[in-house]
Order: sequence, then structure tokens, then C-alpha cells
Amino acid sequence: MSGARWLAIYLPRLKTDRLIRAGRGPSDDRPLAVYAKEKGALQLKAVDLRASKLGLNLAMSLADARAMQPKLEAVEEDLEEDARALDNIAAWCERFTPIVVVDPPEGLFLDISGCAHLFGGEEKLRTEIVTRLRAQGFASRAAIAPTPGAAWAFARYRKQERRPQQTLRESLQASLAAAEDWQAELAALPVDALRLDPNAAALLRRLGLKSVGQILHAPRSSFAARAGENAMLRLDQALGREKEALTPRRPPPPVFAVRRFLEPVFTADVVLQVTQDLCGDLIEKLDVRGAGILLVELVLFGVDGRDRVIGVNVSKPLREVKPLMRLFREKLNIVGENLNAEFGFEAARLDVVRLAEFDERTQALVSVEASASEEQIAGIVDVLGSRLGAKRVVRPQVHDEHAPERAAGWRSALGKGGEDEPQTPPKDGVQRRPVRLFSPGQQIEVMASVPDGPPIRFRWRRVMREVVRAEGPERISGDWQKRERTRDYYRVEDKQGRRYWIYREGFYGESEAQPHWYVHGLFA
Amino acid sequence: MAAQPLHEIGPAGPGYEAAALGFTLALAASWAGSAGVFWAGEDAAFAEEGAPYPVGLAQYGLPLDRLIVARAKKREDALWAAEQSLAASGAVVICALGAQGKPLDLKASRRLLLFAERYSSRCLLLMPENGPSAAWTRWRIAPAESDADPDELGLPAFRAELTRSRGGPSGAQFVVEWHAHERAFAERVQKKCEPVFYADAREA
Repeated sequence: MSGARWLAIYLPRLKTDRLIRAGRGPSDDRPLAVYAKEKGALQLKAVDLRASKLGLNLAMSLADARAMQPKLEAVEEDLEEDARALDNIAAWCERFTPIVVVDPPEGLFLDISGCAHLFGGEEKLRTEIVTRLRAQGFASRAAIAPTPGAAWAFARYRKQERRPQQTLRESLQASLAAAEDWQAELAALPVDALRLDPNAAALLRRLGLKSVGQILHAPRSSFAARAGENAMLRLDQALGREKEALTPRRPPPPVFAVRRFLEPVFTADVVLQVTQDLCGDLIEKLDVRGAGILLVELVLFGVDGRDRVIGVNVSKPLREVKPLMRLFREKLNIVGENLNAEFGFEAARLDVVRLAEFDERTQALVSVEASASEEQIAGIVDVLGSRLGAKRVVRPQVHDEHAPERAAGWRSALGKGGEDEPQTPPKDGVQRRPVRLFSPGQQIEVMASVPDGPPIRFRWRRVMREVVRAEGPERISGDWQKRERTRDYYRVEDKQGRRYWIYREGFYGESEAQPHWYVHGLFA
Repeated sequence: MAAQPLHEIGPAGPGYEAAALGFTLALAASWAGSAGVFWAGEDAAFAEEGAPYPVGLAQYGLPLDRLIVARAKKREDALWAAEQSLAASGAVVICALGAQGKPLDLKASRRLLLFAERYSSRCLLLMPENGPSAAWTRWRIAPAESDADPDELGLPAFRAELTRSRGGPSGAQFVVEWHAHERAFAERVQKKCEPVFYADAREA
């Protein structure tokens, strides 16, 4: 865990802030509170700043609060909405680092290891987050520490000393000191700072253990037996003795690169330039790992708080800027009009979502032959897919099936597929299957035919066609489980030499109705 | 013809689209090297005449393991896809356009020609209408009747007319049969329509 840096965000007034932000707070200067039904009584769950200044607190019931402040505006608690608001904030925070952990009900963890320098240092990053959250209507406190537990504790229990006229030097010294003494500082905090449930914290206090430090120095075994494993675990996590597994909101990309812009970026040209820089950063990191890219996502963070994600799929592991940029250029060309960069973008991040082992040896063979290599073709397929869509760039597939419709299909040309066996045309050169197939077959009107034989004339697409040659029938029985009927196929040629693959479904005399005829395909 | 990078192929009349495609596919199959065949087309070009059917394509001689089909919603996307595919050196690219829409302008076909020349690939432009084009040759294709026993269908056969040829005579007519197994065309021994062909050939 050496070098890990965690930033914890605490949103003490999330419940009321989100209501006010959504315009659901009081329109005048009345105080606002959120309540919920608890054991038959209506209990206050959150109060806004005004209510808190007027002396309302969470120990009160709604009735008590109303008695004190008759003008109190009260809204019932909506836990789902609260969770959604927290998740939205978490999503917004992903512009600072891809690893954001939601810590309900009112906290977040950001893994800022190795990220802070992009924002001018840890303190700048912390202030920026708090300031910008406030600008969006959310009161917050944030703190940075080597463990999530300690950051959590500092965000909530560190004394908010006001240092209005602090010089840069002083603040630097202060933060340096804080960095060194974080364990000592943690020890001075009350036991509640250990993320304990209220009962456990109350028990500790009854035992006379008020601060983290007292627990720290208490004999471990007896203490653990009395206060439970949980408190010890939390303590160890906060001190970094025990690793804490947190699940980020989104699976973190194995490799990523971030760029921030000094001023908002609007045009696709600049986005492209930044993307190219990011690709360079990324490839450098991949070189170290000996890996290649399979799927990358460009995340553009809008100043308005909305993100756009542009994904690029590659069929063979890639580790070069040029082909990657070719794909992005195509993608951005289409997305370009819909970038919606109304307020501009403030940051961009390039995530490798999927990577694969990169084989140096296969790469060395590229472009030795005059004919395009497999890699080049894979590259072209990627480009085609990025503009047309992966489903529109396909390779043929032949299945071992009797029914003509199921005997063949198409699969995306992107990515690896089963190696197709080369099919050889028949020796006699006679075409038994058409090059194009209608699915389903198109019904035709048969004008004259011998029973159990091919038609003599038929009408298809409003044109009468006279059959001069016919070969068949080739009987293909349907899947009886799917109630498909037996078909008799004929290959027929009309007077002009056009050739059709037609079939009759069912037999003559099988029922009252005449059997139907269909054109299923066209021969070249 | 094989030496030139861009050829235009179209049906000789309404209802002959399948024949024009057959002729195109046959050329593609006979030229396909290790780089394979790209078939880029507008949705309209695919929908009208039925979807390409791999089993039949294999019988026709196309290398299924080296065939890539790209379907585009719009004509400009189909042309773009063809251009991109031409970057595969040695490949044969079929660019199939639908019957609807404006005739192709000279610029578009010139671009295809440039791409094909640069990467030494080949482009077969399959489109129904006439228009100015940078293609080396323009072919109008109709089906030809089978040359086989009365109760059999013979080899795929085409009546191909060379309606335009840069640096050569045009107007020549051929009746050719496609030998899928050998991946080669063979001219059918003529019974009826020699005069047209020889007349033109003599002029040249």
C-alpha cells in the first residue's frame, strides 16, 4: 500500500442539498428538514444550514422541530433519490480519477494515487473538489490520507481550523506536517472516527475509551474480545495494517492516461490532438507491461458535468499510435456533430478497457509481402467497423445444416473467429446453391405446371417468366419439430437465361389448397 | 483487363442485376489473392436482390476465408468503405451501389482509382446506371442461356458487352462461361452472334 493516496469526501448535507439544488426546497428563507418514520414517530433525518443555525438537530422529532420552528419546510426522506444523487456526484468525480468508490450514505472515496500532480498537488486537488461541489450546491469536506479509513476519519472529524491569512509557506508546512503525523492525528480523534456502528462506539465510550489513541494502546486481545472484531479491523484498516478491499463504481481500467485542459476545449480538432497525446501516454505505459490494446474508451468530461464516452474496438492487440488515431478520427468524425461541446470539455481520459498480450514476433512480419497482411486487413476491418458499426462488417460462416437458411450466416469480422475451412467449388462447376438468398422466400404465382414437376410459367415481381429449363427436384425436408414442411427445390432458367432457385412447399393433393411456390434465391 | 485497377460493371437491362453481380463476383474470384475480397455495398444494393449467401458464394469460387462484406446505410459510406478497403494491397474490392440516388460523379470514381493505384489493389464498381466514370472499362452484362442438355442447367453464362474502354476498342460482345472450379472464364464457342464482335475487332 506504499504510495497509495486516498481522498475521502463527506457530504454532510446531501439530503437537503440535493432537494434545494433540484428546486424542491423552500422558495423563501424558511428552514428545510428531511424526516422519516421511525418506530411510529416522524424523526428528523437531515437539516439544512439554516435549520441547523436555528437550533434544529437530528435528535429531534418532526413535531418537536415544528414546535420550535413553525415555518419549517419538511420533506419525507427518499433513500433511493439520495443514493442516486450520491452516485451522480461519484460519476462527476471520475474526472479526477477513474477509481471512485461510493461509500453510502453520504461519502465517496477517490483513489488519487499518482493523479494529484495533474491538478497541481494534493491540496489543490482537494480544494478544487470542495469548491466545485459547493458551486454545484453540495456542502462537502474532503481529506487525503494513505488509507481510506484515515481519510474517512479526517474528512469527518478533523477540526476545520480556519486559516484565512495563512501564507503559502505556512500552509505548505502544515500539510507536510499533516503528511508525517497522520497516525498521531488519527490517534487524537474520537472513536467514532473508526467507522463503527453506533452501538459499538457507544460501548467503547462506556468502557472509557474515547479516542482512537486509547484503543491503539489498549491491550489488543482483551479489547478485541470485548469490543468485537469489527473495531479492531477498522483500526487496522485505518492504520494501513490491514488491506481494505473497496469496489469502485466502475471497474477500473488496467491502464489509463489523463489530460486536463487549462481552458475549456470546444473543437473536434483539439480533441483529436489531445487524443493523440493520450494515445502516446497510453502506449508508453503499455510498452512497460508488454501488452496491446483491444478496447479503449475516450472519456471527455464536460464543464457542464456531463461526460461523453467514445469507444474504439480493435480486432488484434494494438500498440501503435497511428492506427489507433485512424480509428479515433473516424469515430470523432461521426460523433463530431453530436459532441455537444456546448460548455466545452475540461479534461479527457483514455482508458484501456481490454488489453491482451502483445506478440512482438508477429508484428515484425508486417508489410514484407506485396499483398496486405492479416494485420493490415484487421486494421482495415477496424476502420470500417468504427464508422459503419461492427455488425455491418462481416465474414461468411458456413454451418453443417441441411436447411438452406441455417446452412450459412455472417459473423462480425472484428475479433477472432473460428478458422474457416477453405471451401472448394464443385469440380463440374455447376451451381447448386444461389449466390443470393431471399429470407424468407418470395412467393410466386405459378401459372402452369405439371403436378409434382417444375412450373412452366410463373409470375414474380409482376413479371411473367417462362421456364425453358429446369433441374430437380431436390427434396429438403423441414425440421418436423418446428413444423416446417418438406420443400421440393428446382433450379430453373427462363427464356432470357436468368436462373432462379424456386421451391414448392408441400405436395399436390396433400390438402384442398394448392401448394405454394417461392423464389428462394437467384443464381448468378 | 486484369492489369487495370478500376472497372465498372452494370446490368444490360432491367432484371439482369443478378447477371451483373455474377460477372463481378467471377472477376473477383479469379483475381482474389491472399489479400482476399472486400465487398462493400449500400443496403439498397443488398436488399433488392437478396442477401449474399455464403454456401452459394463458395460454390461460385469465392474464398470464404478471405471475404469481408461491409454494408453501409448511405452511398457515401459505401464509397468510403470501398476506399478504405482498397488500402489492402492486392485485394479485390467490389463496390456495389443501389439503383436509387444520384449518378456517381466523376470525382468519386477518380478517388477509387487513385486508392487502387496507390495500393495496387483492384476495384470493381457495380452500379446500375451510366454516368461519367474514371473506370478503365465499362461492361454491360446480360445472362446467357445454358449450354447443356435440355433437362440440365449449365455453367453460369453471361453475355458481356464492353461498352467503354480507355485506350482500346469498345462495343465488343462476348459470351463467356464461368468455370468456378478453375476460377476462370472461357469464351463459349459462338453459334449466333459473331458478326458484331468481329466487326468491331476488325475496326480496331
